[in-house]
Amino acid sequence: MKLIVLSFFCCCLLLTVTPSVDSAKLNLCQVLKRSIGLQRTKRDLSSLFALREAEPGQFVRPDDVKDTLLPHSSTGIGVRTKRSKNSVNQSRRSGCSLGTCTVHDLAHRLHQLNNKLKVSSAPIDKISPLGYGRRRRAVPERQMKLEMQDGHLQPVWRLHKLEALLRRT
Amino acid sequence: MLEKKMDWRWMVPLFLLGIIAEVAVIASPEVNDSQQHVPQNVYTDIGSTRQKIMTAQFECYQKIIKDNSNVRAGLMCNRTWDGWLCWDDTDAGVTAHQHCPDHFQDFDPAETATKVCMENGQWFIHPESNRTWTNFTRCNAHSKESRMTAINLLYLALIGHGLSLVSLFTSLGIFFHFKSLSCQRITLHKNLFFSFILNSIITIIWLTGVASNQELVLRNPTSCKVSLFIHLYLFGCNYFWMLCEGIYLHTLIVVAVFAQKQHLMWYYLLGWGFPLLPTTIHAVARSYYYDDNCWISSNTSLLYIIHGPICAALLVNLFFLLNIVRVLITKLKVTHQAESSLYMKAVRATLILVPLLGIQFVLLPYKPAGRVLSEIYDYIMNILMHYQGLLVATIFCFFNGEVQSVLRRHWNQYRMQFGSAMAHAEALRSTSYTASSITEVQGCYSIDGHSEHLNGKSCLEAEKSENSFN
Repeated sequence: MKLIVLSFFCCCLLLTVTPSVDSAKLNLCQVLKRSIGLQRTKRDLSSLFALREAEPGQFVRPDDVKDTLLPHSSTGIGVRTKRSKNSVNQSRRSGCSLGTCTVHDLAHRLHQLNNKLKVSSAPIDKISPLGYGRRRRAVPERQMKLEMQDGHLQPVWRLHKLEALLRRT
Repeated sequence: MLEKKMDWRWMVPLFLLGIIAEVAVIASPEVNDSQQHVPQNVYTDIGSTRQKIMTAQFECYQKIIKDNSNVRAGLMCNRTWDGWLCWDDTDAGVTAHQHCPDHFQDFDPAETATKVCMENGQWFIHPESNRTWTNFTRCNAHSKESRMTAINLLYLALIGHGLSLVSLFTSLGIFFHFKSLSCQRITLHKNLFFSFILNSIITIIWLTGVASNQELVLRNPTSCKVSLFIHLYLFGCNYFWMLCEGIYLHTLIVVAVFAQKQHLMWYYLLGWGFPLLPTTIHAVARSYYYDDNCWISSNTSLLYIIHGPICAALLVNLFFLLNIVRVLITKLKVTHQAESSLYMKAVRATLILVPLLGIQFVLLPYKPAGRVLSEIYDYIMNILMHYQGLLVATIFCFFNGEVQSVLRRHWNQYRMQFGSAMAHAEALRSTSYTASSITEVQGCYSIDGHSEHLNGKSCLEAEKSENSFN
């Protein structure tokens, strides 16, 4: 009888410890990425803001959004590489997933529920077979040339339009 | 002397209550102001949907341009921007999955969008349109249900906190009114109950006043950040008072059986003082790294600054609970009781202590991934969290043997004073007075053991805890 109780407690302990160890491992490798991510989002948002401030007339129309290739001014940290492996592709779910975090989750959900800034429902025609995913924007190989620089292969863009844009921003 | 001490001790929480009230007062006029002044075109002109899509596109092209480190092995679908999401190079014959974007209100970021890379190294082409196609259909398939869930959870939380507040105020009233109850353990209970009350109030304010108030979040005043700060602080206080209860019980039962009264000073420091530390760190970190409106987003790992220590406290409490139960079983065994009743008592003591020490959050530590599972988990967690105050007040005040006997005695006195039996009142009162005075003397020291001692039939002083098992 005592053995049963003891083993039950041991199971409880194991249950609680295992996920935290897993997450600790996960956290360790995510910390770096996250710090990069944080900087990146900050930078992106600020540059976006600056762009909007500078040229309000050229605000991208919804139809343009898909085509315009907007360059980025800052050359910062290399963006992380992530090859899709089997099924998991770019799944980034940050945030607190501990049990006690549910109260923040609830507040966040309520906030999003009342968020009138977003379009309330996604356009059905773009989810339908005729909709999104139709545009293939793979990088055309011929537009990018690889050159040797300091012993490293560096991509060099030979796109005049893009270079002009880069110079402007 | 004692009164003075108490006054000083209650100054801190009262001060906090004052701050909360102030914030509530500050926050409420702003709500009204914003309703009048914020122009309507804010919602329609610069939609955040378009902004989000643009930002995503930015990042995607940045990634497509810069990310050239891939060594191509075999047949692959090229990386691409499909209009809403960015897709990496994918091996042929593999289905790529991604969390849905949060561009639209009815898109659930917990769901996945899929894009099939076919065997020939081309992205899946929909037969109806002859165009490449990403499957976004699952993104908004359950949006109505999840909206309902959120609203249900809100009502659940509000009702829970309302009931908790009523029961906690009642029990605090009982604890303060009947001086015969006061002892160290009850003092700790009072503090815990008080932290529960403050936490409930600020949670209600936060959920109804800030999270549901789009205009306020949009205006992003300092007061709403301050209220989150207070919310997090009181949230921490609550759990650290549970830790205090755990430490107190553990010290009493396991460590210092022969010790005299413990110094409550350290408990006050741990319960009301320590949570300031992670809360401040969180506030500073948040203002530097993730300074969103009203700090309302839960999508940041900075929240671990608050919840890490809380989780650690709960783990320590789990250890305390196990140790207490172990000691309980060994001590019960000494008395040669029948095994079955012994374990029943141990289980009962454990169940009683679980809500007091907040163990339930450790037993279900992580949010599962699936939609249905996470929904169930949300319901369970929200019920456990928002009804904990009610549960604790019920078990540790209303079901408490001491409290019940005191209440019964006073009720009898009252009935005798004003009841019909006026003729016998005099005689009966004298006896009841004697009885009550004896009980009051015993008060904290009454020895009425078994597992009930955890629930306050006795206040376990010194070696009397040994006796309590007899």
